[in-house]
Amino acid sequence: MRLLRRTLMALAATAMLTAPAFAADAIKIGLSGPFTGGSASMGVSMRDGVRLAVEEINKAGGVLGRPLQLVERDDEAKNDVGVQVAQELINKEQVVATMGFINTGVALASQRFYQEAEIPVINNVATGTAITQQFKPDNYIFRMSAADTIQSNMIADEAVKKRGFKRPAILADSTNYGQLGQADLEKALGAMGIKPVTEEKFNIGDTDMTSQLLRAKAANADVILTYAIGPELAQIANGMAKLGWKLPLIGSWTLSMSTFIDNAGVNGEGAVMPQTFIQSPTTPKRKAFIDAYQAAYKVDRIPSPISAAQGYDGTLLLAAAIKQAGSTDGAKIKAALENLNTKVEGVVTVYDHPFTATDHESITANIPVFGMVKNGRVVAENPADLEGANAVRLKAK
Amino acid sequence: MFDFQTFIQLVVSGISVGMIYGVVAFGYQLTFATSRTLNFGQGEALMLGSLAGFTIMTQLASHLGIPMPLAYLLMLPLVLMFGMAQGAVVEWLGVRQAIKTKSEAGWIMATIALGIIFKNLAENIWGRDTFTFPAPLPDAAIQIGGIRILPMEVLIVCGALALMAAVELFNRRSIYGKAVVATSADIGAAGLMGVNTAQVITLSYALSSLTAAFAGVLVAPVTLTGASLGSALGLKAFAVAIIGGLTSGVGVVVGGVLLGITDRLTGYYISTGYQDVPGLVLLLLVLSFKPSGLFGKSAIKKV
Repeated sequence: MRLLRRTLMALAATAMLTAPAFAADAIKIGLSGPFTGGSASMGVSMRDGVRLAVEEINKAGGVLGRPLQLVERDDEAKNDVGVQVAQELINKEQVVATMGFINTGVALASQRFYQEAEIPVINNVATGTAITQQFKPDNYIFRMSAADTIQSNMIADEAVKKRGFKRPAILADSTNYGQLGQADLEKALGAMGIKPVTEEKFNIGDTDMTSQLLRAKAANADVILTYAIGPELAQIANGMAKLGWKLPLIGSWTLSMSTFIDNAGVNGEGAVMPQTFIQSPTTPKRKAFIDAYQAAYKVDRIPSPISAAQGYDGTLLLAAAIKQAGSTDGAKIKAALENLNTKVEGVVTVYDHPFTATDHESITANIPVFGMVKNGRVVAENPADLEGANAVRLKAK
Repeated sequence: MFDFQTFIQLVVSGISVGMIYGVVAFGYQLTFATSRTLNFGQGEALMLGSLAGFTIMTQLASHLGIPMPLAYLLMLPLVLMFGMAQGAVVEWLGVRQAIKTKSEAGWIMATIALGIIFKNLAENIWGRDTFTFPAPLPDAAIQIGGIRILPMEVLIVCGALALMAAVELFNRRSIYGKAVVATSADIGAAGLMGVNTAQVITLSYALSSLTAAFAGVLVAPVTLTGASLGSALGLKAFAVAIIGGLTSGVGVVVGGVLLGITDRLTGYYISTGYQDVPGLVLLLLVLSFKPSGLFGKSAIKKV
């Protein structure tokens, strides 16, 4: 049955993807993300952000006099499909570099193949801490998002130090994302001498959170910390409303997903989460990006603003590195990324030597700010965080 | 400390979730009875019904200005017709040929393939995200002696029971229904008695997708809707159909409720990490000791 499903999908995919005409000398860049399923809003936003950047680069004459060409593949947020995509992009499409991933599990399963083939990977969205630590030295994996350790420290800080909660309950989904994030959260809370009163688990697609919430209630929790994705997060907020028991929600950046905000409605108002980017024109570059996105995809609210912004910025950095390397050789691009001499003005921040040979994280703890769900949108919890000199937060050296 | 109120709250939630599984599993049972085939795209039939209902409802509301509870009621007959048509299409494309050629596995492949096609179709029409289905009832929970329950959950339980009762009544009272029962009992003899068994099988598929489509619009205000709604529910419901017995309408209801309640209780009293385990254990036990299901009649296969 599984085989048949795969074959049919492969057939459908080939039928769809053999259509566009190929420019003879285009530079092929792979793009792997979930364009279907529960994390699709992130995958599609990332893809659209990347597409915007590629369009702009190509309009300005491309890189090394050649246009960039995206080879997009749906990894369905499944680890095994991600591996197939990686092998196809490397062996069949012979991409120069790949941009991905949304899901930590998919990233960890697929990036090994790029590492072995010496093809650089720009990880735009996945946040699992292990992603940039898997291969050392000579690591081909770079990241544009705020790693989970950064987020978990911020979450613990907000809950314990700023708001004075003492009895947090952690609700995390059963994926790599949820479970690794939960471990990071435990560690961050432990460093403050706090132990979560309970830790509850649920699966993707679960619609009823009664058991989890009643356990948190029985443990006398005073705040809910989350590591999960949109639809299930919405069920948590809705479940609390049903039980007539409302606690503040503080969680990883996924609380900004439209699938959380829309499906939780009023029950989701006030939830806070770390954000590298908030859809608000706080700099001219951000305004231009938001306007271009809205015009190109005919939306008012970007489904996942962070994914779009990080995808856009990742593409700019990759293009700058290919230009500096003067070549499409993987090792040379990697070397250029590790010592990028041009300052790149992105949407999230201005990148000045974002990576080194030992540091493949473009985001440091001082860059993200807390966003809050308010009237169905994510706004800065504390607007002063993004005003004046704070608007562009540079990587700490 | 045993807190009785919490226990009842868990049981109530279990019943409402279990009833969702039960009503989907009921659809499996309908086609199995007449043709010994299943629609493996049952989950997708539910998803399509739910999304079609969503579109009809929003169209009614935006173009004709019909307020929500009324729009929901007006949408129901349209969705039921849509479901019947969808089921007939599945039977026509996927199952008829396999039955004619007495193919053992052809219908399995065909109904799975159709399910995938329906899912892709839905993704193209409605997008890939999960979204909220407007509820015909208020979303504030009602309180009965400390137990909190959503009005929608009450409606799901009542609606599912009413639907299954209606189908049973149709089967027992109407001439078409009697043809269905006759075909279930002995397809060869029914054919000799002048029942057009091919038409009866088509009818059972139409009825099966009708229940799925109805279930889709019934559960969506609680479960949220979207192209991936079918896969999760379809699989769970399949387990329920096996546990309850593929030949028994009562069995699938009991099986669903049993699974819903054990899931919740295990989640609360043992660990939410093991919430799905008892269902699987139950499935294995039933398969080992009573393969025809808790309420199923054991099938005698004559070769």
